[in-house]
Amino acid sequence: MRISSRRLGVYTIALVFAIVMNFTVPRLMPGTPVDAMIAQLGSRATPAAIEAIKARFGAVDAPIATQFVDYLKGLATLDLGVSVKYYPQTVVAVLSRSALWTAFLVVTAILFSLLVGVTLGAVAAWRRGGRFDTIVSPLSVVMIAVPPVIIALTTLFLFGVSLRWFPVGYAYDPSLDPGLNFAFVGSVFFHAIMPVLTLSPYLIGEFQTTMRSSMISVLGEDYVTMGRAKGLTSMTVMFGYGARNAMLPVLTNLALMLGAVFGGSIVTEIVFNYPGLGLTLFTASVARDYPVIQGQLLMMTMATLGANLLVDIIYGLVDPRLREAAQ
Amino acid sequence: MNAALKLIRQQRKAIVGVVIILALCLMAILAPVIAPKNPSARVGRSHQPPTIEHVMGTTKMGRDVYTQFVWGARTSIAVGFATGIAITALGTVIGLIAGYVGGRTDAALDLATNAVLVIPNIPLLILLASFAGTVGPLAIMAIIALTSWPWGARMTRSQTLALRTRDFVTAARMIGEPGWRIVFVELLPNLLPLIGINLVGSIIYAIVAQTTLEYLGFGDPLQVSWGTMLYNAQNSSAIILGAWWDIGAPAAGIALIGLGLALVNFTFDEIANPQLRSGPALSRWLRLNRARNRNLEAAR
Repeated sequence: MRISSRRLGVYTIALVFAIVMNFTVPRLMPGTPVDAMIAQLGSRATPAAIEAIKARFGAVDAPIATQFVDYLKGLATLDLGVSVKYYPQTVVAVLSRSALWTAFLVVTAILFSLLVGVTLGAVAAWRRGGRFDTIVSPLSVVMIAVPPVIIALTTLFLFGVSLRWFPVGYAYDPSLDPGLNFAFVGSVFFHAIMPVLTLSPYLIGEFQTTMRSSMISVLGEDYVTMGRAKGLTSMTVMFGYGARNAMLPVLTNLALMLGAVFGGSIVTEIVFNYPGLGLTLFTASVARDYPVIQGQLLMMTMATLGANLLVDIIYGLVDPRLREAAQ
Repeated sequence: MNAALKLIRQQRKAIVGVVIILALCLMAILAPVIAPKNPSARVGRSHQPPTIEHVMGTTKMGRDVYTQFVWGARTSIAVGFATGIAITALGTVIGLIAGYVGGRTDAALDLATNAVLVIPNIPLLILLASFAGTVGPLAIMAIIALTSWPWGARMTRSQTLALRTRDFVTAARMIGEPGWRIVFVELLPNLLPLIGINLVGSIIYAIVAQTTLEYLGFGDPLQVSWGTMLYNAQNSSAIILGAWWDIGAPAAGIALIGLGLALVNFTFDEIANPQLRSGPALSRWLRLNRARNRNLEAAR
């Protein structure tokens, strides 16, 4: 199992780009970043906030190179500065509090959508041109085109406010004590239903579309004909011969979609008042809590890169051709 | 040409899509005629449900939702389409150069493309937008375009690579056609279906991204658009108060334009890649095929 140095190069450049963006953007504002930020804060500029900003940007009169080295040193020791809004908590503390919830939400939504989308795509390709295909496939394309904001607001209004089926906020019932008991875990899942269902349509649509087109070309392969000729049941041919091999492009697509999924989760968390990274980012952006916003970009970039790396590894394990080549 | 017309006539999905898009565009263009009032004027009480006088009700600020909906279409559709065009242009040019020039240029451009591709867009947009303060439609356009060209660039590059070794390109090079001519006259026309898909996909993406940014409050609050309408409705707790019309109107507008574009995109995909075709032609063929198989069985 080896990952090509090319892929690693791509990830390194992406990370460097995010770091440079984080470093440069605040310094592009007129005046020193400290003054500009304090000006942006306006009436919100408490002495604590000014202190936090000054601490973050250190010696703003030093040469750019020195500032950059200082910035990198801070990153290397996981020092992303101090939050302006939650002074004196560090950015790392603020972000790690909410990161787990976002991870839970995004992973659940991806697993759920993979199951649904891949099955729908495989069946649509199998019965290409049938009624199932002509309804499900255009629907998938439509699901990709509707922004998560719209789905979130509609779900919230229908099932949260009008029908009152699901809770309209928080990750679990605040009256419960967090712990590994049935009531708490149940409450966590119950609170996650609406956010997960909001994130899923986009994912299901993407997975269905990718799966369908890759499955169609796989179904033309000789080994599928062979499977049919052997007299295997269509279930075995469809999933054991076709879908299994058609899954690979879906995995690649999943890695590339992660950025969009994070975008969707930001909006979803805001609408459902779910205490994840997205909500933290939103409150930070309203309060112009720059250190947190910057830390957020870095964290999401690292999460996306990590997930891409993971997909690369899985890809190497799943694709027999790559597995052979590595041995 | 006739074949093309026939193909289009068979694509009912595309026609529905185009009709939806055109209707919304027409509404946006005719805004001064069909909604002559000022969208920012206070015309009624706060959060009035739909009545004859205010067909889509009023907002928290007592503004007419219908007027805002019609005028908001202007900004939303214009920014969406302009951004989509900008994304496509950037992606096509970068993809074409990378694919045609090859060598080190290609390696560098491809590396950049893949790197921008893995950076999460929306968080990056939020970083840029929050440092810029509130951003107008033009800034939103620039930010979205600069962060989302890689999808198109990748597609265009791989297609260009495939076309580059074709005989007609080699022939053109041997005749001594200059590079720019080969790129724009020989290669570009062959890339048109791909550019079409890229364009519609980019417009969809641009509308999603624009709505997200404006909903998060980074839009210019004085500029009426569907995204800022959602933002204002959210801020006045329209959903919790049960003022569904306040959220519903802009949401329906965005969903409709998304639906129209998606239908067009689906058809583009099928035209560019016949393997994916479903639609009436394929089902007719499958039915014939089944009938033929049955006949063969019966004959045996």
